[in-house]
Amino acid sequence: MRTTPPLPGLPLPLPGLRRALIGAVLFGVAANTASAYTATLTPASPLMVYLQVGVGSFTNNYLNGGQPGNNTTINTVSATVASAVVGNGTAQPMTTNSTATQSYWDGYAYCSVPGQIYIGGFYRTTGAATAAAQVTANVPAALTDAAGDTIPFSKIRWTSSGNGDSGAEPFPAGAFVNGGVQNVGSMSSNTWNESCWTFSYLNNTVPPAGTFTGVVRYTLSAP
Amino acid sequence: MIASRPALRSAFFLAPTLSIIWAFTAQAKTTTIDDSGTQALEPSVSMRWKTTAPSRSGTDNLMVGTTTIRVRINVTPWLRRSGRIYLDLPAQQPGPITASWIAQGRFLSGQVHSGNRTLLYAGPIASPFMEDVLKFQFSVDGALIRRPFPVTFHFEMDES
Repeated sequence: MRTTPPLPGLPLPLPGLRRALIGAVLFGVAANTASAYTATLTPASPLMVYLQVGVGSFTNNYLNGGQPGNNTTINTVSATVASAVVGNGTAQPMTTNSTATQSYWDGYAYCSVPGQIYIGGFYRTTGAATAAAQVTANVPAALTDAAGDTIPFSKIRWTSSGNGDSGAEPFPAGAFVNGGVQNVGSMSSNTWNESCWTFSYLNNTVPPAGTFTGVVRYTLSAP
Repeated sequence: MIASRPALRSAFFLAPTLSIIWAFTAQAKTTTIDDSGTQALEPSVSMRWKTTAPSRSGTDNLMVGTTTIRVRINVTPWLRRSGRIYLDLPAQQPGPITASWIAQGRFLSGQVHSGNRTLLYAGPIASPFMEDVLKFQFSVDGALIRRPFPVTFHFEMDES
């Protein structure tokens, strides 16, 4: 048991007086207000997503404090197959009307047009690293012409690269499905991800002559 | 031995000098100052990404937020004495925090990392209360936070 030592000059026993003195000391400490100021820090708009397929909008490069913007442009990727080679099994390179060559991360000439189309973006979130955000493509069953003829979307494939790149691409090579939603890449949280896609038409069937079109929509879904 | 006298004299004066310095250091006292009159001009600090887009490596996740705080501290116990006032930012959850501020003239502008303190004022205490408006900027790694959290700091007086 811990006991309070006798106060100097006060002979024992005087328990009542000693308690009173101790109480006075405690009161004095409490009266000497010692404060601390508290500010509450609140994450505001901590979730941000950006996906660019083809041309996009950025006020400046990331390295210079750039801010992403909206861009409603729908770029095309196309191939014109000469009648002499239709269906001969030699894949036909496709070209794009996209002018996006530079990475908005640092302005580096990352993709080469018209042979490649840029795909990139990020998603920001607070807290520890989360599951990756997924980029999906919503693909029609087929490209169609005015007469209702079709070419399966699976006849189009792509390779993935980027000037100066090495290692795996965040948006790897693939081929379209014939209708449906397919995953075409992923983004780790709080990282910049980008690739350049080079599309080609397989050209291993003989469809009727015509202009066949279809629209693929890409979606970024963050956890 | 006349040649030995200067050395002896030096030793004689050195001993009391060291004693005085030791005594001065021992009397230094740090006391937390009553800052109950301090008020924030905004209810909370909105933290935003310092850079909207992340880096390729994912290492640039700093969030920053600014707020204005009207600091009013009660220095009555040190009236008509001299002292050094510090802003102390203790180490606390969720992790390393940096606070920098711009004062309006009464106090010094500065910066402090959690677990440290920075000089805010040094000199005579001429009035019972000292006031200034500080524009704070807080910085914290976004990977450490997910929801609002409190950051506590206080003011300390070193008596001289």
